Amino acid sequence: MAKIKVASDWLESCAGCHMSLLDIDERILELLKHVEFHATPITDFKHPPEEGVDVGILSGAVANTHQLETAKRMRERCKILIAMGDCATFGGICTMLNFFDKEEALRRGYIETESTVDGKIPRSEELARPLEKVLAVDEVVSVDVHLPGCPPSADAIWYVLTELLAGRMPVLEGENLKYD
Amino acid sequence: MAEIQITINGQRIAAPAGSTVLDAAGVAGIDIPTLCHHPALNDWGACRMCLVEIERQRTLQPACTFPATDGMVVHTESEKVVAARKFVLELLFSERNHYCMYCQMSGDCELQDLAYRYGLTEWPYPRPTTPLPVDATRQYIVMDHNRCILCRRCVRACAELAANHTLAVRERGIHSMITADLNVPLGESSCIECGTCLQVCPTGAIMDVKGAYRGRESEVERTKSTCLGCSIGCGIEVVSRANHLVRIEGDWDAEVNAGLLCVVGRFEPLYDERKRVTEPLVRRRRNGALEPTEWGEALDLVTKRLTDDGLAALITSRATNETMSQFGKLFRSLGAETVAAVGSLAPAMGAEGKLVDLHEADIIIVVGADLKEDYQVAGAFVRRAVDRGARLALVADTDNGLAPYAAWHVGFDEIGDVVGIAEQASQPVVVCAADLPAEARAALAPLAGKASFIGLSSGSNSRGAVGAGLALSSGEDVNGARVLYVLAEDDALNIQRNGAEFMVAQASYVGPLTDMADVVLPAPIWAEQSGSVTNTEGRVQSVQAVLASPETVWPTSKVLEALAGQLNLTL
Repeated sequence: MAKIKVASDWLESCAGCHMSLLDIDERILELLKHVEFHATPITDFKHPPEEGVDVGILSGAVANTHQLETAKRMRERCKILIAMGDCATFGGICTMLNFFDKEEALRRGYIETESTVDGKIPRSEELARPLEKVLAVDEVVSVDVHLPGCPPSADAIWYVLTELLAGRMPVLEGENLKYD
Repeated sequence: MAEIQITINGQRIAAPAGSTVLDAAGVAGIDIPTLCHHPALNDWGACRMCLVEIERQRTLQPACTFPATDGMVVHTESEKVVAARKFVLELLFSERNHYCMYCQMSGDCELQDLAYRYGLTEWPYPRPTTPLPVDATRQYIVMDHNRCILCRRCVRACAELAANHTLAVRERGIHSMITADLNVPLGESSCIECGTCLQVCPTGAIMDVKGAYRGRESEVERTKSTCLGCSIGCGIEVVSRANHLVRIEGDWDAEVNAGLLCVVGRFEPLYDERKRVTEPLVRRRRNGALEPTEWGEALDLVTKRLTDDGLAALITSRATNETMSQFGKLFRSLGAETVAAVGSLAPAMGAEGKLVDLHEADIIIVVGADLKEDYQVAGAFVRRAVDRGARLALVADTDNGLAPYAAWHVGFDEIGDVVGIAEQASQPVVVCAADLPAEARAALAPLAGKASFIGLSSGSNSRGAVGAGLALSSGEDVNGARVLYVLAEDDALNIQRNGAEFMVAQASYVGPLTDMADVVLPAPIWAEQSGSVTNTEGRVQSVQAVLASPETVWPTSKVLEALAGQLNLTL
């Protein structure tokens, strides 16, 4: 039977969720009997192929124009989309930015930080622009599975992946349901 | 004690008469979820989490306030109950901004724990979008109304435990808000920053500035110890992580204070900005600067002078009983003219009382102390007593923070009147400060057989000093000493050198004391020491080290033993 194709990407993310994914430790060998990782943040393929993959895993919130594009592309090319972690599920810590005016935040980050000398806000056309508001993934595209946690435990991630492989929709409860 | 029989979830339970359904369930180990309930506070029934089904009652009832009666049949986990509890949680989560991700309480929040327990995975109701105020006007605590579930634990703690009555709820319904005084910022209110509200808050609505985000329960260590802020010796729980102090909490199980603390003991120790003395220092030239040196040289310089005439030795009253004892032995063997701790005792008069006597008193006389400024926990006990109906008489020649609570406020010259009133009382308690003038002591004498006397000694462990055979001194009467040895540890002692030829300071921090000294020996701070201290009631309690000293800082005992060793003395 053909292996399930999995692609993953990270948006406004600290990468903790991906570290937690790797915390499944040697279970990854079992996983690799059934799945094939295609594009991930640490492989050379940056985007899932045009013909699509079976499962997409997204971590991080949607905070700028590039991340919005990535979220849309992932939705298009993944049959099942998993929002992994609090940032993807709820917007997470990234939403703290929503208390502030974006220009004010850029000034603070690029000019006013204590160790910056002669700062300048980069405005190149090629750079992503911050969105009005930092958003959860399901505020821009539909999401099939939400896996909250900061990060979700390796056991919760393992549970979700194995349930999906068994053809079932995972239901988070008990120790697997955490948003902290 | 009378008992009642009640059935909970099919289990027959015997509970004391007067129990609530929650109490009875507790007797049988049946867990009913709660939020506004707190073992140290009166029950309120605000949160509705503890709703249970009671047969023959028209509707679900809150277990925390509903009196258990004989023959009652209760179901705590029926479908109806679980659905109601989930509904209550959904409403609580929708009422304000309970967004966990950047809340300092996340992981240890009682509201979050219940959401996990009841499997809350989404917000079913639209959430309000108007941010509520965050009050950061106090130095040590922040009140974030967005996180508040209006459980009123803080209001009750402020009223029942601190008895300061600063917090209340204003408005009604969706507009209800915890408020200080008549709706003023906390920083401008009557708040005394005791932090009791902080300790009882179940969510992240009240947080402390220093400890926020510095460690969850699973990441920190808790060590029980005794506060050295004053001679009351409140039981504390010091929260630490990776050799850093995170927070100080009141120990709910401590006999003296039962969880209550004051700003001096809870917050101030964490904000000490003084520079630490990390190695021995010596001043080689008369007006020169202090220079670092090795312990060997420093101890040699000290022992050379300790055998001189005119030796005076002073120790801080924050030191432990064990340190006091060693200090006493060393300096008495050296024939020092003064071997004293800096502090004073309150006069011993009549039956020695305990602070808990205040809970039963009908008349309380407070002589010469402002219990709003000093010994604040005693002040809280007095205010609680007044709330309960006791009457307070203040004897003080100056303004006193407890004046608004006093039925009588007289100067020392009218102390006789107050004594007369107390003689009529059935359970009078006299609280007196140290250093009472003789006339005042004489005036109080008639109450000797009748009243419970609570003396408040000045200096955390002055009683321990006396117990170790040390004299007590104000620190100002060591005139004429040729060699002055001051064991200050972390105390900012106000000692004058008064022409001493040679001065040694064994101190934790750089300050006026070390600026005067010829040799400075580093010392551990309160959090780095273990031992026992004797509080003003004579109760011996233990101090437990929480942090490791920097390597070059020797424990006080090691220094005293080294000095003794070099002088061929044993301690």
